[in-house]
Amino acid sequence: MSGSGAVLRRFLGALGTVFSRYWTVLALLLAWELWVRARHLNAIVVPAPYSVVSDVFDNPSAYAGPLGHTLLNSVVGLALGMVLGLWCAMAVWFSRMLSGLLTPLLLVMRSVPVVVMIPVVARVVGFGTPAVTTITTLVSFFPTFVMVLSGLRAAPTAMTDVFAVLGASRPMVLRRLLLPHAVPELLVALRLTAPSAVLAAMLAEYLLGRSGLGTLFADAVVFVAPQRAWGAALIATVVSVACFVAARGVERRYAGRFR
Amino acid sequence: MGKSAPASIPPTDPDTGGGPAGSTEEGTAPDPDADPRTESADAGSPRAALELSGVTKHFPLRRRNTVALDGVDLTVEQGEFVSLLGPSGCGKSTVLRLLAGLEEPTTGRVRVHDRPPAALVNDHRLGIAFQQHALLPWASIADNVALPFRVAGRPVDRARVTELLRLTGLEEFAEARPRQLSGGMRQRAAIARALALNPEVLLLDEPFGSLDAVTRRRLNFELARIWSEQRITTLLVTHDVEEAVLLANRVVVLTGRPGRVRHVEHIDLPRPRGGRLTREPRFHEVVDRLTALLDGDLASRAGADEGATAQTGRRWLRRRGR
Ligand SMILES: Nc1ncnc2c1ncn2[C@@H]1O[C@H](COP(=O)(O)OP(=O)(O)OP(=O)(O)O)[C@@H](O)[C@H]1O
Ligand SMILES: [Mg+2]
Repeated sequence: MSGSGAVLRRFLGALGTVFSRYWTVLALLLAWELWVRARHLNAIVVPAPYSVVSDVFDNPSAYAGPLGHTLLNSVVGLALGMVLGLWCAMAVWFSRMLSGLLTPLLLVMRSVPVVVMIPVVARVVGFGTPAVTTITTLVSFFPTFVMVLSGLRAAPTAMTDVFAVLGASRPMVLRRLLLPHAVPELLVALRLTAPSAVLAAMLAEYLLGRSGLGTLFADAVVFVAPQRAWGAALIATVVSVACFVAARGVERRYAGRFR
Repeated sequence: MGKSAPASIPPTDPDTGGGPAGSTEEGTAPDPDADPRTESADAGSPRAALELSGVTKHFPLRRRNTVALDGVDLTVEQGEFVSLLGPSGCGKSTVLRLLAGLEEPTTGRVRVHDRPPAALVNDHRLGIAFQQHALLPWASIADNVALPFRVAGRPVDRARVTELLRLTGLEEFAEARPRQLSGGMRQRAAIARALALNPEVLLLDEPFGSLDAVTRRRLNFELARIWSEQRITTLLVTHDVEEAVLLANRVVVLTGRPGRVRHVEHIDLPRPRGGRLTREPRFHEVVDRLTALLDGDLASRAGADEGATAQTGRRWLRRRGR
């Protein structure tokens, strides 16, 4: 009896925390619901939050498949982008020539918005999954490259001196000093890119893809199913926020060990 | 005071085939009974392990040009222990950094075993403990001590690492991270790391700076023991005059900025120098003379400001009183 009471109390406590932190979001949803009901707006204009949520819960199978695709696309793109960013940062650190070659190019490319890149990518790699993966990769690449490179270049002189007098080769310095030192930056890059990778994957699916939440959204718009379209957006938002929270958790847990 | 676990370190360096690390490259192990002092101390002597001749070092800062060292001649012979004393900011760390190849002299010549300093570094034969410990925060203390093995691409000698941790009293903290240790413990870990590969040359920059007097003396005696077993050519920077005299064959006193060699003192006290010696008058006679040299230097620099001179004088006296 007391055990279940404690569980209930803890549950209520957690609920209280959520409520006190995110009450603005809840208030917004409530206002939205009331507004739609009061004005008797058509669902095509704007569906009420409750109807969107109930569409998601009533048709989980309609969402599960596309969600799986989007998640796969994001994870693959995120992993590829981060690995590529890490490699490029190491290459630029290693070679002055590569640095001169790559840095301006990459910085110019970084300032080009994703949306502008999409048609170019479509031309180069075509439509479907390759295009989606390419765009997600590009989106995750730049923050990783920039953050990791700055981490590699910011090792304290006291430590680089230690490696210098130990007679360390450059690869050894990279492996034993600079890469561990840049782990916090890598984790910051993860926190920055994980949510946007999901959204970039969805955007690419919407424009170029053949599966995933973006495609689900596009199809729902075509077939005038506003609850479905908004449901896809809702799920993408939730997943994106979850990615952010997870990445931030990883960062908080591990970044402190490296400084 | 002299009570300490005299754990002996087996010399485990693969390069010297298990011989003492102090042995020269020609394979002539130095006779432990030979007094290095009796050998020629001239610059350019063939036995000179570390040699600075006519070294000046300028640090160009935006407006001003800091002269850290001004015409320093200094030799440390093979297997010799030299202490370097001098007021703060006189360029002691700069001397060490020059010998480690981390800085280039503005003019003059720096040689280690008659080669550029980089040569010894590339052979992984230099051990150095910096003023700041500079341990890797993500690695355990044991891994930090084992770092020189890894950097040199050699298999980590676990027994050696454990031995060094015992020597520095850090056994229980082998798996701790540097941030979990006190400042003095981190310094000890840095010394253990400097000794890991049985270096031929040991450069120590105020290695016992943040230790209490008792631990400091204990590690002094440990260092003296390691030195007399292995005859590692050692240059020790310190502010503690007693420590300098206790350990060294020679004490070199630098002037305040810019650093010049003010005085070289040969220490003739017999070895091993135990806790008893530190209470003998002849020991204090040397310590007092060197302290006065430092004191005089401070007094001349302080100039008209009598108050400041009295204060610094008191500080030196308090140090000596330990
Ligand atoms: N990298 C540097 N850039 C500019 N000036 C420097 C640099 N390193 C040392 N100096 C200057 O050279 C002088 C000597 O410095 P150094 O660190 O060798 O002194 P020190 O004798 O070791 O002092 P302390 O006993 O306080 O450690 C100081 O005046 C310092 O300002
Ligand atoms: Mg110094």
